[in-house]
Amino acid sequence: MRTTLRTTDRPRRRLITMATVLTAGSLALAGCGQADNLAENSGEEPAAEGGDCEQAELRYAWWGSDVRHQLNQEVIDAFEAENPDITITPDFTDWAGYWDKLATGVAGGDTPDILMQEERYLRDYAERGVIANLDDYDIATDAIDENILAAGQTDGALYGIPTGVNVYSVLANPAVFEQAGVPMPDDTTWSWDDFQETAIAIGQTDGLFGMQDHGYNEPGFMVFARQNGEQLYTEDGELGYQDETLVEWWEIALNLQRNGGQPSASETVEIQSLGPEQSLLGTNRGAMGAWWTNQLTAIETAAGTELELLRWPGESQGERTGMYFKPAMYISMSADTECPDAAAAFIDFMVNSETAGELLLSDRGLPANTDVRAAIADDLSPSEKKAADFIADLEDEIIDGTPVPPIGAGEVAAILDRYNNEVLFERMTPQDAAEQFRSEVEAAIG
Amino acid sequence: MSALSELGSLRKQKGQASRSPLEKNDGKYAMFFLGPWLIGLVLITAGPLLASLYLSFTDYDLLSDPEVIGVENYRAMLEDPRLLTSLRVTFTYVFVSVPLQLIAALGLALLLDRGMRGLALYRSVFYLPSLLGGSVAIAILWRQIFGTSGLVNQFLGLFGVDGPGWVSHPDYALDTLIILNVWTFGAPMIIFLAGLRQIPEMYYEAAAIDGATKLRQFWSITIPMLTPIIFFNLVLQFIGAFQSFTPAFVVSGGTGGPADSTLFYTLYLYQQGFTNLDMGYASAMAWLLLAIIAVLTALNFFLSKYWVFYND
Repeated sequence: MRTTLRTTDRPRRRLITMATVLTAGSLALAGCGQADNLAENSGEEPAAEGGDCEQAELRYAWWGSDVRHQLNQEVIDAFEAENPDITITPDFTDWAGYWDKLATGVAGGDTPDILMQEERYLRDYAERGVIANLDDYDIATDAIDENILAAGQTDGALYGIPTGVNVYSVLANPAVFEQAGVPMPDDTTWSWDDFQETAIAIGQTDGLFGMQDHGYNEPGFMVFARQNGEQLYTEDGELGYQDETLVEWWEIALNLQRNGGQPSASETVEIQSLGPEQSLLGTNRGAMGAWWTNQLTAIETAAGTELELLRWPGESQGERTGMYFKPAMYISMSADTECPDAAAAFIDFMVNSETAGELLLSDRGLPANTDVRAAIADDLSPSEKKAADFIADLEDEIIDGTPVPPIGAGEVAAILDRYNNEVLFERMTPQDAAEQFRSEVEAAIG
Repeated sequence: MSALSELGSLRKQKGQASRSPLEKNDGKYAMFFLGPWLIGLVLITAGPLLASLYLSFTDYDLLSDPEVIGVENYRAMLEDPRLLTSLRVTFTYVFVSVPLQLIAALGLALLLDRGMRGLALYRSVFYLPSLLGGSVAIAILWRQIFGTSGLVNQFLGLFGVDGPGWVSHPDYALDTLIILNVWTFGAPMIIFLAGLRQIPEMYYEAAAIDGATKLRQFWSITIPMLTPIIFFNLVLQFIGAFQSFTPAFVVSGGTGGPADSTLFYTLYLYQQGFTNLDMGYASAMAWLLLAIIAVLTALNFFLSKYWVFYND
């Protein structure tokens, strides 16, 4: 019996050791293979000169919802009908996947001919020569508001044409105000103190909150900094605010949180991960929230009630007004495209034709082209109309746009969100968080 | 049978000096059948692996050509506080969840090994989490269960306990991911079950005759006989846990939040590569991870001499 045990156990031992080594090795290898599955950078072709392509085949990449995919396809069909010698292939993903895919595609020498851009990434792609200077092509831009167009320029060259306008604003639910017995504020005169009192007063009613946390997002802080005569980024791509300003910004949120004006820190984290429909406003649990004008429709639908767009508090008390028009997104063109003239024609069509405007309506924010915006005014839904009127009212109050953010600005949203959490969970004082935020951001955009 | 004897006679005819044509061809056939796998290894694993080694010595933003900067990326890692955070999070995750997971797996395996009605069903049911555990759907489910008004807090509410939002609180978020990993004990459990079957029954019989209690039998027979299997599971789960990515990515929405409390090493690597467009640094991080796993696995093998019993 012993002998049989020995003879069977020896191979067993070796087998197990072998199996352990092999599996361990291949797991480690496979893991690294996945982590580093990078495309090697192929030598970039120089930008094609001229562009007389008889039959142009172009690829157009964007991010967005199913509705946008549908709309874009209709625009492509309309364009192809007018330009039978140009074919456009759609290439779309969701927001987060878009940037991963785009960066990897560019690395592999496979940049889409026409692509959507966003302000935080525009300079990254422009200064690295991935997207073309659109001034060199035949695209009309005279009907686009100067302030908005400037947001697509870096170093005097136009790298992206803003498709539409958004304003970061305070959305409010009058029904919740009424339920809490708190009067709606007058947004043309309210101060940051009024705002805090209002939010805390609403929070005294069980199950209701005054405001959803707004400290995590750069656009809100930009408004606040501008009211103080400062800005998040300067024209030169550096930080342009004082630490005290950021400290003050966070202290407002902390004050709300401590006094019931906004939910606890962990609820805030949870709500923010859920998106507009599940927000405090969307679920009728909150009176106010910071949102973009083009999110009004989605949140109104979720809440099932009419909401109002308010100016940020402090607009009339600060050194100047802080609110600004933000290009919802940009259309850019690859610097490598083989048929730049055809690509330019399609961009011109999307920006300037009423046909495209009527299809897209306010999906990319209200059209940046003011002629198109006027032409489609009657086609807008009531909530889109409300946003359009709000934006029109602000026309005289808004002083200027914000400079194109520096290279590396794509990281800043995450950094601000992280330190905002440190502050809300009271693991860091606003002062420490502001200091560390600055040093981390400087490293990111340096 | 006839083929074998023919082969034998062929061999005899050819003598010992030269190999048969069939044997010579063995190499070719081996290469033919190994080919697809080898091509895959070279192109899909080894190629990118070497590329990442090269990239780890460059400044590479994906958009423009990589620029060689020597060991700058590796040096920068020394001064990166978030890298330290990610290492701390990952080590906590690995060293807490793997032992707990193995204990759960062994416990269940012992229960299921006793033979009971519907055993096959139980085995499948307990294995199920392993198939699902790494998936996006489960990570989303986890976010719901451990949310402020999730199942866990509803249950605690029955006892008057007002629980926090577990996944959204920096003090507890990592714990929920550890529980998720422990819950996926199915694969090691199956291996333990197989290992338990290998232990000869006569040992237990002999011990019973000598008057050993069940507990005594467990410590003196089951555990020692099972050590090679425990070792195997330990090494595998260890490496797997180090590379864990999906749960943290989904539960925190890709941020590693709240406040970096679930910033797994691989998640931070991904952020550096694709969000911060610093693929050179991300590559260097990948090699550091490889080195860490290699060293710890080697240590594991070294230590195994002292506690793994091979019965020979």
